[in-house]
Amino acid sequence: MIAVELHQLLRSRRTWVTILMIDSLPTLVAVLLGVTEVGPRPGTGPAFLSAVLTDGTLFPLAAIAIVLPLFMPIAVSIVAGESIAGEAQQGTLRYLLVRPVARTRLLVAKLVSVMVFVLLTLAVVAATAYVTGTLLLGDAPVAATTTVSGTTLTQQELILRTLLALAYAMLSMFGVASIALCLSTFVDAPLGAALGTLAVLVASTLLLTLDAADSIAPYLLTRYWLAFVDLFRDPILWRDVVRGALLQVVYVAVFLGIAWANFATKDVKD
Amino acid sequence: MTPMGRWSIVVAGIAALLAAPFALRALPVDDAGTDAAALLTQVQEAEDHPYSGYVESQGTLQLPVTDGFTDVGALLGEETRMRVWWRGEDRWRVDKLLTTGEVDLVHDDRGTTRWRYAQDDVQRSPDPDIRLPRTADLLPPSVARMLLDDVDAEDVERIEARRVAGIDAPGLRLSPASEQSSIEHVDLWADPDSGVPLRVAVVGKGARTVAFTSEFREFSAATPSAGSVAFRAPPGAEVSFDDVLDIADAANQYAPLVPPASLAGLAKGPQADGAVGVYGAGMTRLLAVPLRDQDAGPLREQLARTPGVREVRRGTVVALGPLGVMLTGGEGDGGWLLAGTVTGDTLVTAARDVTTGTLVRR
Amino acid sequence: MIRTHGLTKRYGGILAVDDVDLDVREGDVYGFLGANGSGKTTTVRMLLGLVLATSGTAEVLGEAMPRHAGRVLPEVGALVESPGAYPRLSGRANLRVHDALGRGRRSGRAGRVDDVLDRVGLGGVDERPVASYSLGMRQRLGLAHALLGHPRLLVLDEPTNGLDPQGIHEIRDLLLELHAGGTTIFLSSHLLAEIEQLATRVGVLDRGRLVIEDDLATLTRPTGRTYLRTRDVDRARALLDGQVEHVGEDHLLVRVDDVAELNALLVRDGVRVTELAPERRTLEDVVLAATVAGSDRIERG
Repeated sequence: MIAVELHQLLRSRRTWVTILMIDSLPTLVAVLLGVTEVGPRPGTGPAFLSAVLTDGTLFPLAAIAIVLPLFMPIAVSIVAGESIAGEAQQGTLRYLLVRPVARTRLLVAKLVSVMVFVLLTLAVVAATAYVTGTLLLGDAPVAATTTVSGTTLTQQELILRTLLALAYAMLSMFGVASIALCLSTFVDAPLGAALGTLAVLVASTLLLTLDAADSIAPYLLTRYWLAFVDLFRDPILWRDVVRGALLQVVYVAVFLGIAWANFATKDVKD
Repeated sequence: MTPMGRWSIVVAGIAALLAAPFALRALPVDDAGTDAAALLTQVQEAEDHPYSGYVESQGTLQLPVTDGFTDVGALLGEETRMRVWWRGEDRWRVDKLLTTGEVDLVHDDRGTTRWRYAQDDVQRSPDPDIRLPRTADLLPPSVARMLLDDVDAEDVERIEARRVAGIDAPGLRLSPASEQSSIEHVDLWADPDSGVPLRVAVVGKGARTVAFTSEFREFSAATPSAGSVAFRAPPGAEVSFDDVLDIADAANQYAPLVPPASLAGLAKGPQADGAVGVYGAGMTRLLAVPLRDQDAGPLREQLARTPGVREVRRGTVVALGPLGVMLTGGEGDGGWLLAGTVTGDTLVTAARDVTTGTLVRR
Repeated sequence: MIRTHGLTKRYGGILAVDDVDLDVREGDVYGFLGANGSGKTTTVRMLLGLVLATSGTAEVLGEAMPRHAGRVLPEVGALVESPGAYPRLSGRANLRVHDALGRGRRSGRAGRVDDVLDRVGLGGVDERPVASYSLGMRQRLGLAHALLGHPRLLVLDEPTNGLDPQGIHEIRDLLLELHAGGTTIFLSSHLLAEIEQLATRVGVLDRGRLVIEDDLATLTRPTGRTYLRTRDVDRARALLDGQVEHVGEDHLLVRVDDVAELNALLVRDGVRVTELAPERRTLEDVVLAATVAGSDRIERG
């Protein structure tokens, strides 16, 4: 089932168009920065965006910081929201189930497929950003990149930490994917699941700006998303990264659990 | 499995997951039962104990600040996240963590180095005795040291222990002996092994809520490595050297004034040898800074817009929780900025003393 | 092959399927008749494990459903209500996906797909996406889906929906051929004619209840009465007094033991007989007698 899902995902033109659209924003930013050489004022704008003017090898991170808060979650909500409700809507769900594909396995396959989509998107964004970053933006000393804490990283350390940041960004999308997947088992229209997930995201983002919501802030979905910046402090500040990872695991467990309980006993009527 | 069966498994699992953090928090806190005097001694003796960790401070004081006062307003009015490595009084590093960057202070025997990631600059400066508060002053041990320096056993009582950074820390309540203090009390929780304060909470006079807290979220009493407090300017960063750290330092060095030896009955501290006066001790402290018109003007405007402000004969006075602020003089004048943990009446008296008793250096 | 006991499905307060006991035997072409909304589709979905019964049990191929769906369903081909396919893929690609989800190995996949396409008359189909297919083509593709993997049991819900008369004929031939090859077919339809032409056994569902289940031959066998059409209704009636059960405008229904004797009697008496035959009931008569008006009909109260 997983193999078939992945095959379908990779063959679909829509997958690649979506990835391309996501990829175009950081590329546009790179071009604009490269041409104008005007960085954001210190302390504003996405992480690393002022640093890339001197060090283009940091641009993959800046690109992730650009797409992670909005573009990625929207795409993930749509793709994951489509997973069950989309099959139901085009009438293929019942045929999958009588093939038979076990319902739990179908859920897992869908989640894996969404996560592969995330991985693919991040990989494409990071790779493009590396190329545009080194071509268009500052090429600082090849051997060393400055961390947030003012120390320097070797090429290997930079690559390792960038990979860690990519992994963390992927994990951050896990929660979104499972919420969308869960909603997708409840609603009939894929759009409903996607919009429902986006509503959760917007609510979480909004509550984070509210002092009155401080007590629940550590449990909000988006709370630790940008903690990947902590991977570029020296020494690495694991605190929020670990919390962020655990939080995502809890979100996945909760929403996948609900999805499982609902979907495994659901009457498939469409 | 029946639908009911599935749902009950899932609901039970979710409940267990969500309850886990609360259950951990609800575990009883261990209290060794140290008496207040012994705990105070332990904390005072741990004054220069090394430590490292992660600190969050939360201030609620909405200071009327202007550009000249750098980030004092943010330090006392917002949340500040810090990482600290403290080997000793003259060997430490404090990183102020920002969402997308860092401002680090690295201190050694030659002075303080400030690294700002977003600006990509390094500023070195000497470490004057007289300066505005900075991140390192928000650490629980720093706050405690400042507030404890004239406290003795009569001023303290034990309060319930509390879990701070995973440590069951016994608590101490300090109440100021002086009537002039604007602090109701300060609660402090210390590491039972090292005596290093882990959490400090300040409550202003007449207030019910805490005005300022600072606490470790992660803590180690081990001496941090020398490497962790070293700093070398990264390649490409702009490096500058500054003789003058901030507005207080500037005034202290260059204003041709000598404030009186005492204000409102509070004695001037030994470190004040220039134009800026530091008065009082412990929980009753007052800072007097002479300001030029161009600095005093905007601050006066800000003050005038602050809720609860009072215009008195000698200037403008406002109480912000446990912090009292007064600016002497009127529009178009320079003036003395008086700020500290003292009551409004003390400030007014101090304003009288400073305007009448200041000597002009020639 | 299919056996249900007290199968019941309740949606909220509405009883969609009410205490149905089905019995489909190996080798049957079972015609499952019922008006729209009578609960046919819900029953079919319960048999396939798509809908969970509120109460009662279902057994398919001798195993409990939906508990043993993993063992049962690979041997079942199904077309449920309408065919479903990924609209952006071609029919062939759809079948390949479907085949990959089943037990079939990769090696024979292309052959199996071509085989079922040939059987449903789509052998020459190109790589157009399914989105551009006509209703009839989709229906054929749906059948091809069901045929993948040589199922022992075919569960078909309205298989000829959207097909033209020629297509219906082709599909009927295909089903008869499959039946001859030993496949049991469970055919759900609201079209009497379709069932009458194909089925060996018939079950009739009316408002969720199974009102008839019997062999088609039994249902439509002679009633034991004789149908007599004549121009002299009154004379015949007088002559056969006591044996006439029904009098029509131009015919009588008579219960006699020996039709030859009856014929001789009538001829001898000069009654002009135009037709004399054993009375048979059509499936339509049977169904109409057993059911009420379709549930999509709403009378003025």
